[in-house]
Amino acid sequence: MQTRDIDRALQADDDTRLTRPRLFVLALTTALVAALATAALTFPANVGRLAPLAIDSLPRSGVLNPVTAVLLNYRGYDTLLEVAVLLLAIVGVWAIAPRARIWFKTPDTPVLATFVRLLLPLMIVVAGYMLWLGADEPGGAFQGGAVLGGVGVLWVAAAVWLPHAGRPFWLRLLLGAGVAAFVIAAVGLLLLTGGLLQYPPEQAKTVILVIEGAAMFSIGVTLAVLFIGGYPRREEEK
Amino acid sequence: MIFEAAFWLPVAIMAPLLAALCAFLAPQRMSPLVTMIGAAITFVAVGFLSALLVRDGPTRHPVGGWGAPLGIDLAADGLSALMLMLTAVVGAAVALYAYGYFNFPGHNEETKQRYASFWPLWLFLWSALNALFLSRDVFNLYVTLELVSFAAVALTALAGKPDVLRAAMRYLLVSLAGSLFYLMGVAFLYGEFGVLDIDQLKKGVTTAPSLAAAAGLMTVGLMMKTALFPLHFWLPPAHANAIAPVSALLSGLVVKGSFYILLRAWLEIFYPLSHTGAPYLLMGLGGVAILWGSLQAIRQTRLKLLIAYSTVAQIGYLFLLMPLLFVKEQSALALTGIVCFILAHASAKAAAFLSAGAIQLVTGDDRIASLRGLMEMQPLAVVAFGAAGVSLAALPPSGGFIAKWFMLDASLAHGDWLIAAIIVAGGLLAAIYVMRVVAPLFRQPDDAVLHRLTLAPKTMTLSAFSLAVLALLLSFAGIAVMEMLSIGAIGMLGIE
Repeated sequence: MQTRDIDRALQADDDTRLTRPRLFVLALTTALVAALATAALTFPANVGRLAPLAIDSLPRSGVLNPVTAVLLNYRGYDTLLEVAVLLLAIVGVWAIAPRARIWFKTPDTPVLATFVRLLLPLMIVVAGYMLWLGADEPGGAFQGGAVLGGVGVLWVAAAVWLPHAGRPFWLRLLLGAGVAAFVIAAVGLLLLTGGLLQYPPEQAKTVILVIEGAAMFSIGVTLAVLFIGGYPRREEEK
Repeated sequence: MIFEAAFWLPVAIMAPLLAALCAFLAPQRMSPLVTMIGAAITFVAVGFLSALLVRDGPTRHPVGGWGAPLGIDLAADGLSALMLMLTAVVGAAVALYAYGYFNFPGHNEETKQRYASFWPLWLFLWSALNALFLSRDVFNLYVTLELVSFAAVALTALAGKPDVLRAAMRYLLVSLAGSLFYLMGVAFLYGEFGVLDIDQLKKGVTTAPSLAAAAGLMTVGLMMKTALFPLHFWLPPAHANAIAPVSALLSGLVVKGSFYILLRAWLEIFYPLSHTGAPYLLMGLGGVAILWGSLQAIRQTRLKLLIAYSTVAQIGYLFLLMPLLFVKEQSALALTGIVCFILAHASAKAAAFLSAGAIQLVTGDDRIASLRGLMEMQPLAVVAFGAAGVSLAALPPSGGFIAKWFMLDASLAHGDWLIAAIIVAGGLLAAIYVMRVVAPLFRQPDDAVLHRLTLAPKTMTLSAFSLAVLALLLSFAGIAVMEMLSIGAIGMLGIE
């Protein structure tokens, strides 16, 4: 029955006739976009807003890349909460769909599995490099995490190795490492310096890289686990 | 350090977050224990914070040591402290109730497994709400809104039935759309004024087209999340189909989070637009919400849907006094009325959902027709529902009564007879829908049905009862609330 519902929904998606209610919505949206665009055109020109301040403060931030300085230092608290959102997504998905909707069988040829096996260590190095680079140039934990997430999806899809269905501790630890590093650093610094996430400028780079490193692994594993959509499981467990 | 209020702001946010992480990492059977420890630390933080606030006045905590505008500032005044205390008290009662609810015989293994996720999700929600009440940065508020929404949607879906999954999906989409509207408004504020800190915006705003665009976008987005009529359509199915402890959190606390941002945004950022009629529009929608929601509640045949529609109605009261907030003489009274209403509604509505859940576990369904004679079986749950009903209908002595007293006082002093009439009519309609539930409870029970009932455990009925008692006791808290609000909150209006 569910499949039929989905089919019907897909067919409804294919229906692109311009009916009267749709025309109305289209007109309304166009008017809204036009009004907002007009308002946006009145923004004061040639104003740097907070960018000059962010650049000026770089020497005290521990990194040279202004984006990393904003994400991990000036507004590191935002990023802490964003990393918590990722963990929350996993808790939510596991609560609703305890068992993965898809499962994987070992491919008939060993080529894919061998390829992925070779790729994984390589990609971890690539991700680590992007993380290291992020301190001074474009890059960082989210980019490195995306690379890990991609190779994680391949790893799972090629069925190289999958844990038994369930939520093993090591998997939860990988998923929670980002939040753990962030919160421990935040609370530790609160107790030491009296300020939440207040890095001493000399140690700022080290702290940022440690937090980013943990966050990168968590982001990568989170993306791969969200792709599976439930506790991982192998074909024989279906 | 611990005798400065500023120290406790981040603790109130980090303690439940760290507990959520531990509840996720530890084996599931440890979750209630972890929650208890996390809750205890959060209680200490909220307690110290509020006490030191009374002693020293409003406080700030520049995260990372940068300070606004480059960094993010946390700040607390009397209003944030009241919201933190409300969240802690209602949340603790709900958690106690949830413990009894999950251990009630009759849940199978799969359901129990799913319910185990309640603990980390609730801790995430608590942390997110505390972060929301303490943030002074409009972009950071967006992040807290996202955390609140995701936790709330996941909690809704815990019931696991097809109906609730559909309702949770709709809730997710509406909530996401609301967040994006809000975020676009933030972009307009930053584009025009170049800062994100509320205090700096307050000093810098001018009546630019961007301010109107931001006000429109953010108000619509937050209206969606607060479920103000006509954007309330997602609320009844979500709140009615969730499990009882979750319904109590959603109706009692979550919708108040987005309203809190709306209130602050209008008082501190959009105040130059208070003459445009926008506050009157919000007032009008609030009035319609009260009448429409109450009439819908009267029509319902299912208990939890009735309570959910009552929430749609009661949200209207939060918006009814919007214009009066900008009238200098009435502003303090109106704000006190609104905040008293938030406190009274949160405790009464949570109590109503909790007792409805206890009754539902006992009778096995939630038709109002099946409530006959439960007074003899579950007196404590029934009394809790009755007392919550007294507050919802704003009969004395109750928190609802004192809130409406302030509201009536403010509106009559300003000569707004229409607002006063709606307040009175809303109270009468509420009395009708409460009586529809209470009357059958006292009827002669049907013996054949009653014999096979299992009673709800004391932890459940007692926590519902204590929240209902709180709703009544708030009747004596009017002056205390006003004094608390005088710490930085009354007079936060931008124009002076």
